[in-house]
Amino acid sequence: MAVIEVDGLTKRFAGLTAVDHVTFTVERGRVVGFLGPNGAGKTTTLRMLLGLVTPTSGTATINGRRYTDLVDPLHVVGAALESSLAYPGRSARNHLRIAAFVGGAAPERVDEVLDVVDLTEAADRRVGQFSLGMRQRLALATALVCDPEILVLDEPANGLDPEGVHWLRTLLRRLAGEGRTVLVSSHILAEVAQTVDSVVILDRGRLVTESTLADLTGGTHAVRVRTPRAADLADLLTVQGASATVIATDRVEITGATTEQIGTVAAEHAIPIFETTTEAPDLEDIFLRLTANAERTEVTS
Amino acid sequence: MTRLIRTELLKLTTMRLTYGLAAVAVALTALFSLLENNRAGASGTGVAPISTADGLRTVTTVTGFAMLLAAVLGSIVANGEFRHSTATLTYLATPRRARVLTAKAVAAISVGSLFGLVAGIVSTGVGLVFVAAHGDRVALSAGSLIGHVAGAVVGAALLAGLGVALGSLVRSQLATVIGIFVWAIIIESVIGGLYTSVRPYLPYTAATTLAGAKLGGAAFGPAHGLKGGGPLSFAAAALLIAAIGVAIALVADHTTMRRDIT
Repeated sequence: MAVIEVDGLTKRFAGLTAVDHVTFTVERGRVVGFLGPNGAGKTTTLRMLLGLVTPTSGTATINGRRYTDLVDPLHVVGAALESSLAYPGRSARNHLRIAAFVGGAAPERVDEVLDVVDLTEAADRRVGQFSLGMRQRLALATALVCDPEILVLDEPANGLDPEGVHWLRTLLRRLAGEGRTVLVSSHILAEVAQTVDSVVILDRGRLVTESTLADLTGGTHAVRVRTPRAADLADLLTVQGASATVIATDRVEITGATTEQIGTVAAEHAIPIFETTTEAPDLEDIFLRLTANAERTEVTS
Repeated sequence: MTRLIRTELLKLTTMRLTYGLAAVAVALTALFSLLENNRAGASGTGVAPISTADGLRTVTTVTGFAMLLAAVLGSIVANGEFRHSTATLTYLATPRRARVLTAKAVAAISVGSLFGLVAGIVSTGVGLVFVAAHGDRVALSAGSLIGHVAGAVVGAALLAGLGVALGSLVRSQLATVIGIFVWAIIIESVIGGLYTSVRPYLPYTAATTLAGAKLGGAAFGPAHGLKGGGPLSFAAAALLIAAIGVAIALVADHTTMRRDIT
């Protein structure tokens, strides 16, 4: 069941169409990456979904209702938007107390979410002294404080160091494991690829694709095998319908066969295998190709 | 709505600015009360000696600046959220923006009234200390003095509400803060000086007369020392300020508050 439905959403600013008839859905319990280069219209789309920006046309609903019609919205959707910063003179704890209070969450939630985002020690420092990474964590804590079923996160990895990005991935997986629906935007596909079930890609305000990650990368997996009988293995696999190329005397690259199939064939013919590596699809390459082509290709929506 | 109002009060009490403005309000009230007391009765000042009812009234109703600071507080309650982008969270929690405006107005009016109360007590207190020091009798009844403090509470509360309306209409914090001072200290003085019949209807002037300041007699206030025209009745002055505030809020609700939060 779709919890988020965006239908023909359009936003025109003076002379500029920031979002152009964007349509997509997010199913319950899924983690969806909302991707696109900077300026693609991701933030504007999310802000329309959240009732902060009024669409020129089209609709965006959450559980079948517009955000502005939700009862207790913070319990339904938790949002961490780039600029939803706290008043700089206020401590992180007081900022969260306000968020918990206005949403009607128990005061204990403040300490719980501070712990979730690793900000317990900095809780009583003023937000004005926070680094960008700490602000991102605080924004996440704010989104989580009312324990919402849906999370909308706008570029949560911005400003995080590699350790922070790893931490974020773990957190997103954990949130998804709790059955929450997550819509997370990013301008770097690789940043969210390990976490998301599917992606919605936007470029220059238009929808480029809405697909599962597997479909996006489908068919591009290659397996490299190191074996002293590279040519023999290549021949055998070619007979079986795979595409195999000997790339060195002891190396063969295969597409169209799984590692299981390759291993089985090798064992049947007593071919020793020293090493098997699966080449990950080049996500950045796919992403760049999709967003670069958007200008020329007519986009389905 | 109770939860929303309490949220806005929580925001106010966790902002250092609130305490800073309150401290400035107390300090300015004390300072100007001292100056008024010091010059009262001296020739050429136009202020009667504090041994007289007229003089004592002048020196115990120096509450105008605290009222202005209440208005500043109100404006910041409304548009400070845009300066720091905290409006996003506010409107995520409460997408119906008019409800936010109402809650902010109630919260600012509550805290603003405290500004008036403290300023009224400080101004009256300083005046009474000078009276005691001179060995004069207290020329005003306790009822009058308390009435002036109550008027300062009402005046500051109304101006705080007016500030919220202004801050909702104009999102620039700097513009509203400067605007409030320019309006009260310069524009009202000029208009009040040129057209004395209009003077009672000017909102800041009306607020000071609520607190018992003489029309044109408020210390360093608008059109200080000018004669002519009587103040509005308490109810009329209060209604006037409230009506201006509501009118501005309605305009804001149909214009600025519909704009996108980006």
